[in-house]
Amino acid sequence: MTSIPLTAHGAPRANTVVLEHLTKSFTKHRSWRSVLTGKAREFVPALTDVSCEVRAGEFFGLLGENGAGKTTLFKVLATLVTPDAGAATVGGFDVGRSPQRVREILAPVIADERSLYWRLSGRENMRLFAALHSSRGAEAARRIDELLTLVNLVEAADRPVSAYSSGMKQRLLVARTLIARPSVLLLDEPTRSLDPISARAFRRFLREDVAVAQGCTVLLATHNADEAFELCDRVGILHRGQLVAVGQTSEIAREVGENRFALWVRPADQSAIDALVARGVIRDTTAFVDEPGGWSRVECDLRDGLEGAAEAVAFLAHAGVSVARCEPVQLSLADLLERVLARHAAHA
Amino acid sequence: MHKVWALIRASWLAASSYKLGLVFSFGSLVVSVVPLYFVAGALQSTMANVIQGQGDQYFAFLVVGLISLNVVSSTLYALPGGLQNATSTGTLEALLATPTSVTALLVGLSGYEVLFSIVRGGVMLMAAAAFGAHVQWAQLGTSVPIVALVVLAHVPIAIITAAMVLAFRTRGPLPQLVLMASTFLGGVYYPTTVIPGWIESISAFIPLTYGLTALRTVLLEGRPISSVWREVSILIVFTAASLGLSAMAFRAALRYARRAGNLAQY
Repeated sequence: MTSIPLTAHGAPRANTVVLEHLTKSFTKHRSWRSVLTGKAREFVPALTDVSCEVRAGEFFGLLGENGAGKTTLFKVLATLVTPDAGAATVGGFDVGRSPQRVREILAPVIADERSLYWRLSGRENMRLFAALHSSRGAEAARRIDELLTLVNLVEAADRPVSAYSSGMKQRLLVARTLIARPSVLLLDEPTRSLDPISARAFRRFLREDVAVAQGCTVLLATHNADEAFELCDRVGILHRGQLVAVGQTSEIAREVGENRFALWVRPADQSAIDALVARGVIRDTTAFVDEPGGWSRVECDLRDGLEGAAEAVAFLAHAGVSVARCEPVQLSLADLLERVLARHAAHA
Repeated sequence: MHKVWALIRASWLAASSYKLGLVFSFGSLVVSVVPLYFVAGALQSTMANVIQGQGDQYFAFLVVGLISLNVVSSTLYALPGGLQNATSTGTLEALLATPTSVTALLVGLSGYEVLFSIVRGGVMLMAAAAFGAHVQWAQLGTSVPIVALVVLAHVPIAIITAAMVLAFRTRGPLPQLVLMASTFLGGVYYPTTVIPGWIESISAFIPLTYGLTALRTVLLEGRPISSVWREVSILIVFTAASLGLSAMAFRAALRYARRAGNLAQY
């Protein structure tokens, strides 16, 4: 039986993930010319000094552009890649020293549909992975039925996986992973091949049936703004292998976008807006967007946040421009990432 | 063991879903016995003297040789092939993420192919018997551990090849070299005693040489396993010596692949 390490308070921490100065680089692909001329190997950093703790029961998002290091981090946690330096522990077990223990606690949902046995039925796929997790007999059969019901695949359970839609395959992949009753789940872009409606249903399923009902700690790598904002309690932003920000999604958004406001003005007087920019009260303005009632919407960064809003509104009123509303703007994921990375670059 | 059987069962279910392929694989086997029967019949008088002590009939001699060669070929290629297949289909990453030992995964990924080749061998032997091959059926049980030893003796070569696949994504030349040497110098088509000069000495380093001698002595001559203790001992020693070496090579390849980050990469 697996012994679960305890925290200082005595509570089990089977589903906590701790990363300490995790570093990994890969050898750059060498051309024939480099090999023949004996050119020294070059290394590409994939993770650099990544430290973070994901708490028990948390839904943690990993954001970042392609090549940021999200998949490498997942592979390290899944014991498929050995880090060069630093440590990663899952439930107190080191991924390098106790990989078998880690694999008993943590399960990656491999989003690639090809990782299913397409010639086998959904139930046979489940049966195989139940056996590989040492679950057998009536107990395994009961668990398989339970999970197939959970992912709404009971009717299709005995059909070959090759006949499943992408959404069905994604649900089967999750069910296959849950068969081990993992404490920690790794999800790498789970909705990338789903249409928007299926993706939304799948996100609801992840939140309600996986994270809440199963009590799993979930690490989710995604490019999808809806996914990050809807599902994650906290997010970490990776950029070229470095963890440049960690926090609640709303917190990070507020931190990097707290001065972003939308103003509803009438008339759409560009010269008044330009004058405000020239005075340094606002910057990064967008073009006017027509709104009902003859109003126009313009977005901008207010130099002093809400304090600056009063100055801007007063200036506009003096210039004969009415202001109906002034509201903070919810950043898109792309804006959020861009701003976090710009701030990181400025600090660097 | 339960995990190994689960993997073998999955391979069987996948393979048997290609129904026509399965029918053809057995049908072609039975059909291939026909030309063997006629060619061996034509060469019977020429070969009768040289195959003494390994059955008196060249047709049976040839059938046992070819069955064994098929089993050896499957053993050599099943494991690296299974790994390559699991990598390219994407199942390897999922399998490696389960708490299954590497040994169980390797046996499970290759077990079906090896078992299937043994079953096919049994079918071919029955087809040959229907054409008049002299087989001592009472000795069939005794021949099973010899077949198992032949398989085990080639497992280390398969493991080293699998290590090559894992680390460098290529099988390398080893299985082909071993298969070629076994085909021409292992006594498949003719006894090793007829091989001229120094080339004959190479056959002493080929496990199939001993496996075939033991198998034919037991299955075609009807002699007890004690009469082939020398061949059996050599096979055991060869297996024991090379298994440890191949396990070390595989562990090194696994470490390398984990470090390089290409463990389940196509």
